[in-house]
Amino acid sequence: MNEHIRGLVSANDNIAAETSRWEAETRAPFVAANPERRDTFTTQALKWPIKALYTPADLDAVGFDYAADLGFPGEYPYTRSTRPNGHRSQYWTMTQVTGFGKGEAWAKRARYMLDQGLSGLILEYDLATTNGYDSDDPIVEGEVGRAGMALDSLEDLENAFDLPFDKLQYLMSVCNAPQPVNLAMIIAALEKKGVDPSEFVLHIVNGILIEYTCVGRYIYPPEHGLRIATDAIEYIIRNHPNWAPLSIISAQLQPAKANPVQEIAFSLAICCAYIDATLERGFDIDTIAPYLNHFVVNVDMDFFEGICKLRAFRKCWARLMKERYGASRPEALKIRMMTSPTTIALTLQQPLNNIARLGIMATACALGGAGENMTTPLHDEAHSLPAEEAIRVGAAIQHLVAHETGVAETIDPLAGSYYVETLTKQMEDAAFAEMDKIFAMGGATKAIESGYFQRALGREQYERNKDIEEGRRKWVGVNHLVLPEEKREIEIFRLDDSMEEEQIAKLRDLRARRDQGAVDAALEKVRAAARGDDNLVAVCLEAVKVYATHGEICNAMRDVFGVHAPDSQLAGV
Amino acid sequence: MLDDLPQRPLRVLLAKLGMDTHTVGVTIIAHALREAGMEVIFTGLKQTPEMVCAAAIQEDVDVVGISTLSAGHTRHLPKLARLLREAGAEDKLLLAGGVIPQEDQPMLLEAGVGKIFTMGADTRDIVTYLKAWWAERQAAEVP
Repeated sequence: MNEHIRGLVSANDNIAAETSRWEAETRAPFVAANPERRDTFTTQALKWPIKALYTPADLDAVGFDYAADLGFPGEYPYTRSTRPNGHRSQYWTMTQVTGFGKGEAWAKRARYMLDQGLSGLILEYDLATTNGYDSDDPIVEGEVGRAGMALDSLEDLENAFDLPFDKLQYLMSVCNAPQPVNLAMIIAALEKKGVDPSEFVLHIVNGILIEYTCVGRYIYPPEHGLRIATDAIEYIIRNHPNWAPLSIISAQLQPAKANPVQEIAFSLAICCAYIDATLERGFDIDTIAPYLNHFVVNVDMDFFEGICKLRAFRKCWARLMKERYGASRPEALKIRMMTSPTTIALTLQQPLNNIARLGIMATACALGGAGENMTTPLHDEAHSLPAEEAIRVGAAIQHLVAHETGVAETIDPLAGSYYVETLTKQMEDAAFAEMDKIFAMGGATKAIESGYFQRALGREQYERNKDIEEGRRKWVGVNHLVLPEEKREIEIFRLDDSMEEEQIAKLRDLRARRDQGAVDAALEKVRAAARGDDNLVAVCLEAVKVYATHGEICNAMRDVFGVHAPDSQLAGV
Repeated sequence: MLDDLPQRPLRVLLAKLGMDTHTVGVTIIAHALREAGMEVIFTGLKQTPEMVCAAAIQEDVDVVGISTLSAGHTRHLPKLARLLREAGAEDKLLLAGGVIPQEDQPMLLEAGVGKIFTMGADTRDIVTYLKAWWAERQAAEVP
């Protein structure tokens, strides 16, 4: 130990002693006279105790080491930032979710959003589409176009892509269980529109393992779900190397009440399942990790849990790639993140309060490093589908965090905070302990098949609801500062039935005029590929081009794979 | 008195109908009812009214609870109530919870839904309601 380090250590020992003195002489008498607001102070989701004061002695206690734990921006372990210059060269890309109704309606909304200064869009589909059904399937009656765009055939996407592709740099598509079908439709639609696929980034979420864990939009059993996801990954890496074949939407675990440690551990373990399956296709880790390192991470209202989670996430990814897989390229060791304020902090009650919440959470995202993209939900989202004013405010929130607060002017401005570094380190350690447990049970697919993830989240959901019901967590408008006379009802977005009828009529018209023989042959090829090892995206591409519908292609795979139907225990309910 | 569960625990079937895959609410209810000593069975997702009716009879439950968050309630719930009636199982309590606008509630109650709890309802109120309903039911069955 050199003299300089020895000096620091003895200084910290001194601080520990001084802290004890301060506790006894100054703080304790004060607290005796002024009792604390609550019996225990804890972080919101993890419920870890929060001390009254953090000092350099706390950093010693968690074994904090600047060089090993933080390093420098753009360098391993990337805790401070994956970017050498933070956001001083470029801000994060400002993105917003859109997608409802028919393709044309989506295109109109998307153009409006691009005009508001957004450069990326997220395309969401209705539940019929994401669960692998056509709009005229009786089981989806009433769902058509409700939660997102109705997508039955290539024609629907041709209409949706009436967009200024010069302004659009980035499109994320969220359609997990039927991924090869959806990817094939987008490729075919871009081709029809004459868009050069190398000129912009298509990002498919491809997140079937999180669907099994908590979202529920699955079709086939997990092993087949992972196989078709891996087909899509392989197809993109081999054919569209500038696209992104996977996103781990940790931001879906979070509304399912995963705490920050579960979020990091579950989503990284899930990512490892995709990595292992992709490695089996003959790639090496340094090639594929840069394709499989996209994470979408929510930040909740506990400011420091959110900030520390983003910092710990970057470091855990880097360590995992290096220590578990032996990756060495910087591109493989760097996680890419889209961050977002969470919708579950927003309230139905007093909806304007949500604008303040979004501002605070967006600031936490930025302080945690923001990532490559940030997206903001809308303050009236709990009430109904977004109004244009809410979209404008949502975009403005990101701009004012970027331009008015100064939080993006220096890199990782909270680094060195005794509290922030202690919490970041504790999260990292706990996340690795949880990952070790998951790997010991055989990895994420096994943890899904045994119901481990689902039951863990179910317990969190119940406990955190009790915190609110029993008043341990105050939530303005819900159990604190409640307006007794306030109407607190969700306005259901009732699409008029004529939209569903029109969509079904269009679909039936298409079926009547297409070449049925070509469709039948293409569907048979899909079945054959599903039975064997051929990549499903290639055969789906042939099928969508002859206007086989989304539901028909999904059914062809159902014929081979069967369906997933977990019981109570496995669902965690 | 009502706080003491009668001798046999109440059996509850919880279900999700259609494409609505939001499970946080139904999970919280399942945990709360189990903690209150009730037996809870969950059907899993993407059920049809026919499937839920069959499960309710097969599992011989006292209560059928439907969690609905994506506007399917006006179609699915009246149909389920009718199926239960047709199967001679109208003595089971049909409970609905989730996002159910006030204006839809009279129609649902008319159609055979026994009780509606909307989003944000306190689980303790649901437990209290079910215990009271069960106590009354058991009292009525005593000759």
